[in-house]
Amino acid sequence: MLAYMIRIALLSLRRNPVLSTLLIAAIALGVAVSTAFVTVFYICSGNPIPSKSDRLFYVEMDSWDPNRPYSRRRPEMPPEQITYRDMQGIMASDIPTYQSGMFVASLTVHPPEAEQKPYRERVRMCFADFFPMFEVPFTYGGGWGRDSDRGPDPVVVIDAATNDRLFGGGDSVGKTIRIEDRPFTVTGVLAPWRPSPRFYDTHSGASGVPEGIFMPFEFVRVFEVETAGNLLIWTDLDDSAGFDELAASEAIWIQMWVQLDTAEQLQAYSDFLEAYVMEQKKLGRFGRPLNNRLLNVMQWLDDQEVVPEEATGMLVISLLFLLVCAVNLIGILLGKFLARAPEVGVRRALGASRTSVFLQHIVECEVVGIIGGAIGLGLSALCLGQINRLLDNSGQFGLDLVMVAAGIGLSLVAGLVAGLYPAWRICRLAPAIHLKLQ
Amino acid sequence: MIEMDGIRKIYRTQHVETHALTDFTITIQDGEFVSVMGPSGSGKTTLLNIAGLLDTFEQGSYLLDGEDVSRLTDRQMSAIRNQKIGFIFQSFNLIPDLNVFDNVDVPLRYRGMKGSNRRAAISKALEVVGLSARTKHYPAQLSGGQQQRVAVARALVGNPSLILADEPTGNLDSAMANEVMDLLETINDMETTVVIVTHEPELAARAQRRLHLLDGRLIDFEAADRPTPLVARPDGSSSARV
Repeated sequence: MLAYMIRIALLSLRRNPVLSTLLIAAIALGVAVSTAFVTVFYICSGNPIPSKSDRLFYVEMDSWDPNRPYSRRRPEMPPEQITYRDMQGIMASDIPTYQSGMFVASLTVHPPEAEQKPYRERVRMCFADFFPMFEVPFTYGGGWGRDSDRGPDPVVVIDAATNDRLFGGGDSVGKTIRIEDRPFTVTGVLAPWRPSPRFYDTHSGASGVPEGIFMPFEFVRVFEVETAGNLLIWTDLDDSAGFDELAASEAIWIQMWVQLDTAEQLQAYSDFLEAYVMEQKKLGRFGRPLNNRLLNVMQWLDDQEVVPEEATGMLVISLLFLLVCAVNLIGILLGKFLARAPEVGVRRALGASRTSVFLQHIVECEVVGIIGGAIGLGLSALCLGQINRLLDNSGQFGLDLVMVAAGIGLSLVAGLVAGLYPAWRICRLAPAIHLKLQ
Repeated sequence: MIEMDGIRKIYRTQHVETHALTDFTITIQDGEFVSVMGPSGSGKTTLLNIAGLLDTFEQGSYLLDGEDVSRLTDRQMSAIRNQKIGFIFQSFNLIPDLNVFDNVDVPLRYRGMKGSNRRAAISKALEVVGLSARTKHYPAQLSGGQQQRVAVARALVGNPSLILADEPTGNLDSAMANEVMDLLETINDMETTVVIVTHEPELAARAQRRLHLLDGRLIDFEAADRPTPLVARPDGSSSARV
């Protein structure tokens, strides 16, 4: 019966193409706008690593100026990054299952083919634990071992785009890349990986994509490279200062993540951090009150206000826009359905129950919803492409299967909202009155 | 087939009450061919609508095939209309977007029949009305007489026990009107009860019984000369009318 109802609905839509186009366009517009902003909200607010988001912790310690808080707006908040020396200090702990300090650098890559020009690439400097800790997927090979952190060994992990660019794709494990003035051996090629939001470093944009190259952290000393992300300092530091001065300073520029799988680990690591800070206080550092924080992934994203209020506002407005589109269709559909009252009278005389008539008209509204929704999803993809271009974030906002399903769901809801009252009205008509009018 | 006792139907507007049927009592036997005549506003169509479960009534009782219809739900009444009653209207009431085959298919769709059974029943009904060659035509491509024959096929296709025809020849010339009446007689010969509303005395005279209505009351009925036939149903069975 559903197939029959869909066929009748399509015939009805074909009967008045101008009106049908108007109905479909209204739904398409509403779905396009709402799906686009639902997608933005979904990507901004999603759990990027649901399997272990409650076991990964971002480490914060208040090493900031004793005379003023790090944030005037939120004075209770410790700095969002830590110093190099503190990272070295707490990385000595063997409590976490995995741990990694990290930052993003900008380094020059020399392609193997002579005709290809060198280019600057964002490189994540991190430890071996980065890959298992964040469940980074690989197409070929894997991350480097912890031994390579200590060397450091000249090894790198590259993403699929870099692999395509440098080697034309394929299994490039064991191949060599020249970065700055040194050759590096590829240990792994990433599979597509786009945590949304990019939780592990919100300072360089939570909506960004992961870096193209990952390199052992300690090359920071070899290259004496500075962060390409945020670096803040409350003490004096000469512009001419070298890496050693920077490393020994109170400059904060490193993100620190640990994986703590049990409550005991969490407690032990908290105690460890407290002991570390108390020790540093004896050395004249950490002049502010003890204020260590271990935030799991969702707490961290919430703390960072990764979902901007604007995104929430736009989500609500876009859904209201779809509602307005659907409500506006009620009158049009009512007129369209009532004009067909004599045909409904005939169908009632031939055995259609009120329920059948109601369902047939709901199906017609849902057919409008689905056609409009399909067009709306296409428009939404274009809209998201435009948002990506505006934000220059390399396609972070896109429709995945969940969002396509959400778009179809919104289309069906819009069709239902638009059609419920007209369908109810038409099914309540007394058939006898309209049979003479046909 | 139809037993109405003391039926009263009133149409109410803000200022006016119209008594469409008043204390209307009639019994129509299985297999009868009955014509209903009367001036406009005498209640002929109301009678047909109530008989066809398309309208309700304020007072009285109505047994259709022995079943009291006053307490039926909409779903039950729809099922009875679908399975026991065939309607034929003055203005044909074919659905313009559907071709002949699909128009005749409509009642079977609401019956939930299998495709092969539906196709067989539709072919048979179109054969009875002589339109087997026009299955792909749309109503607008047919003459008035052909359209009414499609409507007859649609009424016939579900093998109903009651055909209600509201001025089925009103929009046809006399030759076509006679064709349609011939068809109705053929259907009646298959033991189907036929009730026809008409303004034309010569067509009404072809019925076994003629009812005359005035102001919602039955004022007269006459028996006609047409004999009660032995009947054969479309499914091939036959029986004598009681």
